[in-house]
Amino acid sequence: MKLPLSGLCLILLSMVMCVSFVGCSVVRITLNTPLTQNDVAFIVPGQTTLADVITRLGTPDSITDSHTGVVATYRFLDMKYSRINFGWLLKFWSPADVDLIISRTGLGTDALELLCDSNWVVTHQSFLRHLSNARFNPYPF
Amino acid sequence: MLLFKPLARIIIVIVLALVMTQGCAFNRGTLGEDIKSESVAAIKKGTTTKDEVLSLLGAPDRLLQVNGRDVFQYYRYDAKVGSLLLIIINFSRVSIKSDDLFVILNREGIVEDVILSKRTDGLEFRFWPFGE
Repeated sequence: MKLPLSGLCLILLSMVMCVSFVGCSVVRITLNTPLTQNDVAFIVPGQTTLADVITRLGTPDSITDSHTGVVATYRFLDMKYSRINFGWLLKFWSPADVDLIISRTGLGTDALELLCDSNWVVTHQSFLRHLSNARFNPYPF
Repeated sequence: MLLFKPLARIIIVIVLALVMTQGCAFNRGTLGEDIKSESVAAIKKGTTTKDEVLSLLGAPDRLLQVNGRDVFQYYRYDAKVGSLLLIIINFSRVSIKSDDLFVILNREGIVEDVILSKRTDGLEFRFWPFGE
C-alpha cells in the first residue's frame, strides 16, 4: 500500500477516535469496494486482457513489473473498531473521571492480483488472502 | 382514545430521538490534486509525447518501469467520514476511494495507452457501520 494512504488512514482514525469519547463507539473504515469471486468470474486466463478487466473493475491500485510480464493489483481494506468505556457509567456519581475501556480492532485486508504476459493478457489471477470477516467485538481477551 | 395511541408513540419516539442524539459530524480528507478529465482527454494515444503529458498533468506521483515501458501514475484519494454522536454510543463510518490514472509510454516517449478510473465520484457520506 502506498505510504501516504496509511498516513491518511491514521489521521482519519485518530480524528474519529477523538470525537468518540463516550460510552461506546463503533467505527468502520473501508478502502475501495471489496471484490468477490463473482466480480472476477468473467476473467478467463489466457483470453481476458488487462484492458477488459479495467473496463469492468476500474484501474488497479498498482502495476508492477515481473520476470514474466506485469502484475496488476487491486487492494481493499475493511477495518472494524469497537470500544466500550465502562467508566462512563460512573460519570454521574464519581467526582473523578474514571475510564475502564476495552476495545478491539479487526483489520481485514485483501488484494486481487492479476499476472499478465507481455501482451497484457491475463495469465493468472488470485486473491492474496480473503477478508478476515472481522466482527464488531470489543472484547480483547 | 384510539387516535391518541399512535400520536403518543410518535411523540415518544421524537422525544427519545432528541434526548439521545447529541449531534452528527461530517468530515472529509483528500490526498492529491483532482485529476482533470479535460487534461486526460487532451492526451492522444500514439501522438502525445512525454513532455506534453508532464505539461498537462505535472510530475507523476509514481514513475514505474513495466514491461519495458515507462508508466506515469497519478492518484488522488478522497475520504468521507460520517459520525452519528449519541449520548452513550457513537457510530462512525469512514469511506475511502481513489482516482487512478496510468499513462503508459513506449520506448520513444510517446503515449501508448491511458487508463483512468474515477472511483471517488460515487463516494457518499455513510453513518451506519454495519452491513455492506
